Amino acid sequence: MLETDAISMSRRRFLKKSGWLAAGVTVVTALSYPLIRSAIPAIPTRNDPMPEDGFAWVQALSDGHIRFFCPRMEMGQGSPLGLCQIVAEELNLSQSEIECVLPDTNQVPHFKMTVGSEGIAKYFEPVSFGAAQLREKLRSIAAKKAGLPREKVEDSLGGFLLPLGRQIGYGALVPSEPLVLSADDYPSSRKALPRYALLRRDKYQAIGQSWKHHELEAIVTGQTVYARDVSLPDMMFGQVLQPPTFGSLIKSVDVRAAEALAGVLEVVINKEKNFIGIVADSPLVLPEAIGAINVHWEISEELNQDQLDASLDVDEFRARDEFEHILASDGDIGAGKLRSQNAVAARYDTSFAAHAAIEPRSGLAWVRKNKVEIWCGSQDPFFVQQRVAKAIDRRVDDIIVHSHRMGGGFGGRIVCQASEEAAILSAATGRPVRVQWDRETEFQNNYFQPSFSHHINAGVTDEGTISHWQHDFVSSPILTGLVPPAIGWVLDKVMADEGTARGSLPQYQMTNRLVRYSDIRTQIPIGAWRGLGSAPNTFAIESMMDELASKSGIDPLKFRLQNLPSTSERLTAVLQRVAEISGWGQVSPKNTGYGIACSVYKNETAVAIVAKVHIDHDASELQVNKIWCVQDCGLVINPDQVKNQIMGNIVWGCSMALKEGITFEAGAVEQRNFHTYEILRHGESPEIIMTIINPTNAQSTAVGEAAFAPVAPAIANAVFAATGKRVRRLPMNFDNIYSNSGS
Amino acid sequence: MNIEINGNPISISKDFENATLLDFIRDFAGLKGTKFGCGMGLCGACTVHIDGVAARSCQVLVEEVGDQSVTTIEGLAMADPAGSFHPVQQAWIEESVPQCGYCQPGQIMTAAAFLNRNPDPSNKEIKQAMNGNLCRCGTYERIRKAVARAAREGKINARN
Repeated sequence: MLETDAISMSRRRFLKKSGWLAAGVTVVTALSYPLIRSAIPAIPTRNDPMPEDGFAWVQALSDGHIRFFCPRMEMGQGSPLGLCQIVAEELNLSQSEIECVLPDTNQVPHFKMTVGSEGIAKYFEPVSFGAAQLREKLRSIAAKKAGLPREKVEDSLGGFLLPLGRQIGYGALVPSEPLVLSADDYPSSRKALPRYALLRRDKYQAIGQSWKHHELEAIVTGQTVYARDVSLPDMMFGQVLQPPTFGSLIKSVDVRAAEALAGVLEVVINKEKNFIGIVADSPLVLPEAIGAINVHWEISEELNQDQLDASLDVDEFRARDEFEHILASDGDIGAGKLRSQNAVAARYDTSFAAHAAIEPRSGLAWVRKNKVEIWCGSQDPFFVQQRVAKAIDRRVDDIIVHSHRMGGGFGGRIVCQASEEAAILSAATGRPVRVQWDRETEFQNNYFQPSFSHHINAGVTDEGTISHWQHDFVSSPILTGLVPPAIGWVLDKVMADEGTARGSLPQYQMTNRLVRYSDIRTQIPIGAWRGLGSAPNTFAIESMMDELASKSGIDPLKFRLQNLPSTSERLTAVLQRVAEISGWGQVSPKNTGYGIACSVYKNETAVAIVAKVHIDHDASELQVNKIWCVQDCGLVINPDQVKNQIMGNIVWGCSMALKEGITFEAGAVEQRNFHTYEILRHGESPEIIMTIINPTNAQSTAVGEAAFAPVAPAIANAVFAATGKRVRRLPMNFDNIYSNSGS
Repeated sequence: MNIEINGNPISISKDFENATLLDFIRDFAGLKGTKFGCGMGLCGACTVHIDGVAARSCQVLVEEVGDQSVTTIEGLAMADPAGSFHPVQQAWIEESVPQCGYCQPGQIMTAAAFLNRNPDPSNKEIKQAMNGNLCRCGTYERIRKAVARAAREGKINARN
């Protein structure tokens, strides 16, 4: 019954889209009508994929290749490669037979923004479904052509095997036009379609192999085209004057000096949009031209760090006993306190942070009467499409976004503001215009990870169980951080931001538990940053677990294991395994310590980390020497890619723990380049030892942000083991270990 | 005024005489493999070789290059008559180093110049030599392995 309903619902949704497949035109939506269009804000593309969405992503070509319009953008996380392996599994392909394309917005229906480490977890199903159906369609064509029943047409590499050993490749079954799937190809029931990606568990051909990325050779020879590398003939060069502080408005402007410069074609001013931009025939003119604009800004906000810290101060909220959201309220904290033998109350803080991807964003726009083209790198090309439509007041359907591999994403490229700027400048001049942000623009004008302040009050019974756990925290909304303030203010009244709360419910058994938080919107632009709230929340939880263990005189590993419920088998397994590979429990030399921490990312992926640190008193340095990691992310599609992601998460975690902090002064970011916003460097990066647990019959789960969250608390706990000093504020360094710590 | 990039003499238009070598390489010579990262010589994404020595092209003016020859990531393999990849690029492929890949041309150029100078480096020397090149994706450990591999295999080649 359920299965039938599911199909009829999804089939209806699919049929609505099938016009797109047949005619190659986009569906007419409400957004096409100008009156409605202006009233609806552009919002990120949020819907999870349906199985039948996969029909639009695979095509068979007459040259024998299978074209895969990959619905995940590539920013180094590698999920497009994993999805290619799923296509290959279903269609019995070798890697060279797949043409993997990052689709333009007019080549496929809308798909969700590439976020949340969902590339494999949520796209395995639709990609496998579409690719399997394409295989069966090809099988029917082969059967018809050979005059045989379908059962006589057997699988073979890149095609089929007919009786008497005759091979027929997919290419021979496809006329000149690509073979696509349509609504008519939908199977009678989803279960009727054999799915090799599900069935071949013990004899996979492509899944589980460490294929090398199809762009690897291009990357190492400098041939990969990032958004910043695109150019067009007759392209012009643009730059926009950025406001000096958040929210400052143009009061008056004199552009005569800029206009007079040789090479400047046009100065575009739109005071309503707070926009002044230059278009020039050479990129070399731009810095001087921007400098020559004489503008008076109306500074509305001179926010500084002290004000921000005060508005996000958990102690203030506790003093008023006023939290907006209650995530968990079980048992009775007061009763728990009575049973507590060892209690700890502590405050933990993490900083504002920037994405600091090495490629600063860039966009190329060519606005013509009937067609607008954008070349950019974004995690959400359909959001870029909507935002560009708003910026230049055009129909969404007029705009094509060409997507490029990104030089790092990390949540920071949901929007590509440079594309919108380029579109406005191109619309004004009728020429293709390229806008490239420099590093300072990237730091000042993107959005940030918010700071978090936590207070946890918890205790341990004489049996070593957790008597009570009260966790209060304050930060800013993350998932809705990008909506315009007027709408955000309304949203905040009715909504608790799940991104801010991610990872804040501990995995441990707690009878008496209260978890509360407030998500406070400030003037600082906030948005997704790797893992959202998971790392700040895990830092607080896993630091407190260590404090409780220490105060109770119980080994931190043992304390965690004895407080995990029996249902947490996978987290228990990764903890036990990381203890094995790191030699947990060994006596450490002087000034050296081991720390442990764990988490389950999005309630899916279990990770345990052990960190080894050394305090070098001669050099006044805190050194993270080695990190061990054990991760259980279910079925692994490409082990080498997963290992690369784990390694990246560990480095990111060390960087968060030791280096990164954004501060604000007079309404602007204080750190504008890598000398003031330092990220972990080569010489500081630890040796990494990792093990992936690959349980049988488990589905693939999140990888791209999973191993990150427990890294910082593992380091802080190792520092405690080495020094007896507890670090409760990040980033930490040699000096603040000895100055800021509480015990 | 001429400048030699990857063995080709390129005459410099007047506009570009005061430009940085990075802007010249990307926007005049059209070689996009050399990347802009910070514009202050802090990240190493723009690393090229000037007469075989690693240099930050965002910190060098075109007019300062003079008669020296410039090698970019696109020209690196040309130094190796054996194949389409320089041994360092080959090692990067073997170790599957890149994630986003944006910083990797700069990493490879730094590593290649370093191995020319020090063909048999210790792990510590590799860390020091590569410390000026940032990788936000965190591929540092694979970079170390790739540099060590290139050094190892470079020695084998020399022996044959």
